[in-house]
Amino acid sequence: MARSLFLAIAALGLLAALGTVLARNLVRAALHLVAFFFCVACLFVMLEAEFLAAVQVLIYIGAVAILLMFGIMLTRNAATAEADLSGGWRVPGVIAGLCVFAALAFGINNAVSPSGSGAWSAIVARPALEPAEGVAWKAERSRAIDDMPRVVGEQFMTRYALAFELAGLLLTAALVGAVALAREEPAPGDSEPATAVEAEAAVGTTP
Amino acid sequence: MPPNVVPLDLRDFLCIAPALVLAFWGLVVIAADLGRFRRLDPDARRVACGRATLVGVGLALASAVFLAWVDALAQSDAPRLVALFGDSLGGYFARTDGLIFFGTLARGLAVDVLNVLFLVLLAMVVWMSTSYGFTDDLGEYFALMLWATVGMMLLAAAEELATLFIALETTTICLYLATAFERSRRRSAEAGLKYFVYGSVSSALFLYGLSLVYGLAGSTYFDAIGRVLRGGDAGLAGNLAGASALLLLLVGFGFKVSAVPFQQWVPDVYEGAPAPVAAWIATGSKVASFVAMLKVFVHALGPWSHPSGSVMGPGWLGVVAVVAAVTMTYGNLAALAQKDLKRMLAYSSIAHAGYMLVGVAAASVSTEGPASAGAVVYYLIVYALANVGAFAVAAWLARDKGTEAIADLDGLAGRSPSLAVCIVVLMLSLIGVPPFAGFFGKLYVFMEALRQGPSDTRIVLTWLVALGLFNSVVSAFYYVRVLKAMYLREPSGRPIEPARPALALPIAAAAVLVTVLGVVPGPLVDLSRSVAVPMLTAGRLDVPAAVDVPAPAPPAEKPSGVAWHPETPTD
Amino acid sequence: MANDIPLNWFLYFSAAAFAIGLTGVLLRRNAIAVLMAIEIMLNAANVNLVAFWRYGTPAAGAGPMPGVILALLVVTVAAAEVAVGIGLVLLCYRRWRAVDVDRYDTLSG
Repeated sequence: MARSLFLAIAALGLLAALGTVLARNLVRAALHLVAFFFCVACLFVMLEAEFLAAVQVLIYIGAVAILLMFGIMLTRNAATAEADLSGGWRVPGVIAGLCVFAALAFGINNAVSPSGSGAWSAIVARPALEPAEGVAWKAERSRAIDDMPRVVGEQFMTRYALAFELAGLLLTAALVGAVALAREEPAPGDSEPATAVEAEAAVGTTP
Repeated sequence: MPPNVVPLDLRDFLCIAPALVLAFWGLVVIAADLGRFRRLDPDARRVACGRATLVGVGLALASAVFLAWVDALAQSDAPRLVALFGDSLGGYFARTDGLIFFGTLARGLAVDVLNVLFLVLLAMVVWMSTSYGFTDDLGEYFALMLWATVGMMLLAAAEELATLFIALETTTICLYLATAFERSRRRSAEAGLKYFVYGSVSSALFLYGLSLVYGLAGSTYFDAIGRVLRGGDAGLAGNLAGASALLLLLVGFGFKVSAVPFQQWVPDVYEGAPAPVAAWIATGSKVASFVAMLKVFVHALGPWSHPSGSVMGPGWLGVVAVVAAVTMTYGNLAALAQKDLKRMLAYSSIAHAGYMLVGVAAASVSTEGPASAGAVVYYLIVYALANVGAFAVAAWLARDKGTEAIADLDGLAGRSPSLAVCIVVLMLSLIGVPPFAGFFGKLYVFMEALRQGPSDTRIVLTWLVALGLFNSVVSAFYYVRVLKAMYLREPSGRPIEPARPALALPIAAAAVLVTVLGVVPGPLVDLSRSVAVPMLTAGRLDVPAAVDVPAPAPPAEKPSGVAWHPETPTD
Repeated sequence: MANDIPLNWFLYFSAAAFAIGLTGVLLRRNAIAVLMAIEIMLNAANVNLVAFWRYGTPAAGAGPMPGVILALLVVTVAAAEVAVGIGLVLLCYRRWRAVDVDRYDTLSG
């Protein structure tokens, strides 16, 4: 049951990814991207990371995809004016992609983890998490699965406190810089006066 | 909070005081610019913003120097530290494990020395930024430069992959934005977009490689990864997943340090970005990326450098050696054809990345152990100082002529003789002519490359050194073109105006430092070597050599001592 | 669990998504389309990270959930990256009326 569900979601996800990459119309590509994000969120649920799935839906679909839509709409006449797949590069690009996939798949198939858990291909099921004597990580992980928001918060307040602060700084910097760049500029003679929509885009980059 | 959670030691924040000061000061500069400076006329506003930023850099520098003093004291005279700061704080500073924030970040003299270097370079770059008006968003511009520096400092100190990744992204995202800040020219926006596209593709590849490393090793800590890989008997032979991970990480770092074949963005971005931003990409970002690369490749992935003892065997040593050879040759040959000063500096910085990659390769096989990476650290310091000065020259041209052609320097020696001498010193140091510091940088890197045990690696690295010497000769041709323009040609059009102090001071300071470090290289070399050892072994200092034996339970009165692996005692 | 999904299935999915994203980066010239392809690659890496977290055996001292934390940081970075990317694209669009990476012509490279 779980396996067939996985196969269905994975197939949908890969089709959506292909659609994103191949669609000539950018709006359609963005909609495919939303579907792909959603399939990845479903995979997170199957991996028992429900909190991450919620974050994925909220941020990727709620913010990233909307922001991309804004970008597409604001550059609309340029985005839809021409066929955008580059002709000469099409065949080498596809071959490169296939080669990367073949190398990765071959590597994954033969990979042996040096940490002692054996070959990746031998791991057919997730480790059981019944508490056992002398294996602290099992209890730790089952707590992380059952109570993920709390454990994420604990981790960000202790072990990863610095990474958390740095992520805050990164978002501030991106916000300040993107607003400064996308703001309507007073310089005359530069193509066209910025429209109200563009001012709205500057606001749109802030969340 | 449940009882089994070890709380964060708030004293850890004292050890990153320079980064905290810079992060906060970015907001101060924006607020001051919005509130007060915006009413001034453009020139006064620029100088006011620059001065306000310099105050913050000065504060951060003071805290970094203070921490360096404390950490030097911890090594030499720990009891005095306890006497000075009391039991709690003094005992904390006297700790020798060198790790804070649960092992995700390094502290100690090595980090402090690099922080001082970043702040000195940043001060020069900020000063240079006040010399000409390229943007209206001054507060935002200076804030982004400060925040990029925060990212660089933490990137150079990171000991764990999640921290490394977020620090790397903070640095590069700030620099993408700063690159596009030159409002008056279209090429700046184009350079910003180009840098962004190349940069985010390479960081996506890097992240995928990182996820494979996490899957293979089961940990994100450099030291733990190194221990796991050393324990695995198979090495890299037949491990295509490990090889893919290595190559993907190499793409990520290759992009940041501008190694061939990931160098396409470099000339365009350096040419299009405002000169101070280009200077900061070429120096600060490169120094931080090389330090992080040394840590990841030598410390974490060191067991994979040449697992079967031969250089061309399954490992990264052969790949890095080939990349180094191609990078320095390509950079030097392409620089020969350049007429634009910033483009020439871009190709020369690619070539210098090649020399430093020789040092990275050497550090993994040198019989000297981790101290051999000191050669790369010394090279980085010298390279960064000389390059900041050279980009100040480019800023001078940009302010005065609006272009950065080398021909604009014609006849400079007649008009500003003392600055011309300074530029001569910088160029000679970049070529590697004794007695300037660039010579010793190359000398030490090449010496480390020759100091090898196994004979197979010795042959390959000897060839690499020979190629490096040949390349140094080639590089002389294009650096000398600058000197020829200054001394032998007459100005064809309007001659260049004399430099303002904002430009003259960075050029002169860089030239003086490069000369002093060249005449007396000893102290800095010793310092670099002592910096390199904790840089590449942090985490091993307090962990017993026998791996996988959990560390002893922390002593009750000092819970923060080994708090970075609180669960090991139970496991 | 006899019928559980093998680890490799997740890894194959993520490898395929990664390869598709990379192909997209190579094929598309439109900056926003390249941005979308990059998002696919970042998501592929995230699937890897979470799968390794759930299925793997952690090394000593690795913490309860390094993979999930890293994935959350990646989501943050992706959001910041898209904001910056759209800002830069709009800036370039206003100057050239085009969003194709190779239509800009001021730099000789």
